[in-house]
Amino acid sequence: MNRREALRKTGFLAGASLAAPSLLALLQSCQAEPRLDWTPEFLSDDEAVFVASFVDTLLPTTDTPGALDVKADMFMDKIWAHTYDEAGQQAVRADIAKFNADCTASYGKPFAELNEEDRKKLMLEAEAASPTFNGGVWGTAVGEQKPVGFYRSLKSMAIWAYTTSEKVGTEVLTYDPIPGGYNGCLPLEEVGNRYSL
Amino acid sequence: MPNFNIDAQKEVTYDAIVIGSGISGGWAAKELCEKGLKTLVLERGPIVEHVKDYPTMNLDPWDMELRGGLTPEEKAKHYKTMRTGFIGKDTEHFWANDEENPYTEVKPFLWVRGHQMGGRSLLWGKQTYRWSDLDFEANAKDGNGVDWPIRYADIAPWYTYVEKFAGISGEALGLPQLPDSHFLPPMELNCVEKHVKARIEESFPGRNMIIGRVAHLTEPLNGRGKCQYRNRCSRGCPYGAYFSSNAVTLPAANATGNLTIRPYSIVQSIVYDDQKGQATGVRIIDAETNEDIVYNARIIFCNASALGSTQILLNSTSSRFENGLGNDSGELGHNLMDHTYRVGAMGKVEGFDDKYYKGRRPNGIYIPRYVNLQDGPQSDKFVRGFGFQGGGGRGSNPANLPAVGADLKAQLVQPGSWEFFITGFAECLPYHENKVTLNHDVLDKWGQPTLSIDAEFKENELALNRQIQIDAVEMLEKAGLKDVMGFDNQHPPGYGIHEMGTARMGRDPKTSVLNGFNQVHAAKNVFVTDGACMTSSSCVNPSLTYMALTARAADHAVSELNKRNL
Repeated sequence: MNRREALRKTGFLAGASLAAPSLLALLQSCQAEPRLDWTPEFLSDDEAVFVASFVDTLLPTTDTPGALDVKADMFMDKIWAHTYDEAGQQAVRADIAKFNADCTASYGKPFAELNEEDRKKLMLEAEAASPTFNGGVWGTAVGEQKPVGFYRSLKSMAIWAYTTSEKVGTEVLTYDPIPGGYNGCLPLEEVGNRYSL
Repeated sequence: MPNFNIDAQKEVTYDAIVIGSGISGGWAAKELCEKGLKTLVLERGPIVEHVKDYPTMNLDPWDMELRGGLTPEEKAKHYKTMRTGFIGKDTEHFWANDEENPYTEVKPFLWVRGHQMGGRSLLWGKQTYRWSDLDFEANAKDGNGVDWPIRYADIAPWYTYVEKFAGISGEALGLPQLPDSHFLPPMELNCVEKHVKARIEESFPGRNMIIGRVAHLTEPLNGRGKCQYRNRCSRGCPYGAYFSSNAVTLPAANATGNLTIRPYSIVQSIVYDDQKGQATGVRIIDAETNEDIVYNARIIFCNASALGSTQILLNSTSSRFENGLGNDSGELGHNLMDHTYRVGAMGKVEGFDDKYYKGRRPNGIYIPRYVNLQDGPQSDKFVRGFGFQGGGGRGSNPANLPAVGADLKAQLVQPGSWEFFITGFAECLPYHENKVTLNHDVLDKWGQPTLSIDAEFKENELALNRQIQIDAVEMLEKAGLKDVMGFDNQHPPGYGIHEMGTARMGRDPKTSVLNGFNQVHAAKNVFVTDGACMTSSSCVNPSLTYMALTARAADHAVSELNKRNL
């Protein structure tokens, strides 16, 4: 059962058309209803809805699974709950609040309540304004790393959560756990997608 | 799988004691056991049996609850070693506990330790290079430090000896500054590396770019399997394809029936008998029970890692050696060296977007030293030299892709752009003032004095690093790379994890701790054959040299025992 099926079966989306492009947009139309079908360990419900809307806009369901299908948002909550210390957790909350405050200042609503088009527009603005990650050597960034900001950090974490999920790691990306040998030069089409490992 | 004899309760007297079971300790154990000596290996941490004790070796990211992430408690346990960038849940259990084993950084220094059977041989980078007379003669020629008591000819047969058993893959080139090993077939360069190699070698006569020489099997050897290109080495290799004590030397030692290995044994000191004029044994603290036990032996090999061995020697005081065993010269603890680390350049390579590779090769490229060679021009900015490691691949960070939504997904599943980097390793000179001392104010979990580490890179190393970055940028630009970025992370010593010196070999007991066979000058039944013994640091990775020196010293030790000289 994927996330969408799960949400539907909890009655969350009863009567709503699943043909609509954005799950969260639908959720927002019904403020009185419970927003989540799971209990976050770290995030508040509102924060969890924000994260879900962010990852869903970033990595939507297409002909391949989207971030919500592989529960990227739930995994990110777990990461914040179990690998961040208190100061780090507080910073995440503050970043989410600021992101939504900025969003409200520019677009009149918090991120999760925007329509799909405005969310993408806002994300692409953030994309253009955010420094990128420097390259790394053996696990550590090199050179002068400018702070990448919350948008790119969250994007990075969402991509990590997505690509390290079993479904994406084994079915979307090229999964080659025991290569057995090394071939240093192959036509790309013989491999296909990026390796997951 | 070998089941090791860990019952050291029955017997307190052995022919030989080996302190530590890492790269050099494993070799000492193998050689001494094979020569018929009943040998006790004292290991500070737990037993790690090959394969059986590699709990993460086959885990995919999604098999781990946090996919490799560490809890704040785990990060605190490794709060210093986290700086390496190497620690995740997959290997966390193989890195020492920084909280229980403190050290004091008088100046910034990273001391990376592996406290388990096999030590850091489970975690090492496997780059294996012979040193040459360019290295062994360096101190004598430019007057830094003291002269090595050996030359390449003394160690060359021992390199061959250990290489045949360890299994080293690489390409023979006949370079005098980087002598060829006894090689298994080399690993393969990928298409971008071949392209960059051709451009660099064309633009810079005298410079070579080669596949790294590594302690990975490219053909089966002695029952060990060849590399499967999973690149999960540091979790322990189920095939035994890379050299570790656990997969290679300790099983060989065990097969003789002469090995006892005692885990959870923290060596407090080496016991020296003033009357006999030699060491008689080793005092340990049981890490679990705090029991104090003395084991006796005719010879003692100290292989606790460079700083670990020196810490033990400094703590081994007697009326004969008030300042530490073998410290007549006052050089014990001094002349600490490491290689400089993470200074180089990286860039993008265009024109290969339709090419990819198969396999996660646990190896990269190597550019051997080309400055200040014996017959070449000499720099007026620095003495000694540097080499580069590096490599190319399609690993660019997908979080940098300038897209969101379906566009991002489409780009995300494609391999990243080709990137290529080189990073230099510069030789560090032996400075008397770069030192470790015993700190009786900061005690470890077992109440033992700890080390204060007071070392820094100086002008020669900084000048080498400046040249590394200049050369790296120039080479990558000439090779046609785009967006070339030079970098220098300005790591203090320790990050190279090639700590050397502090009980150096030398010709003169007045200025060195060990003789030409790694014997403590004034306690000849004590041998130190790990990184502590190094008289200079070369710019190439040192582990192969520790292996060769250990096998050579063990041979000498047994020969001297047989002649009743010890």
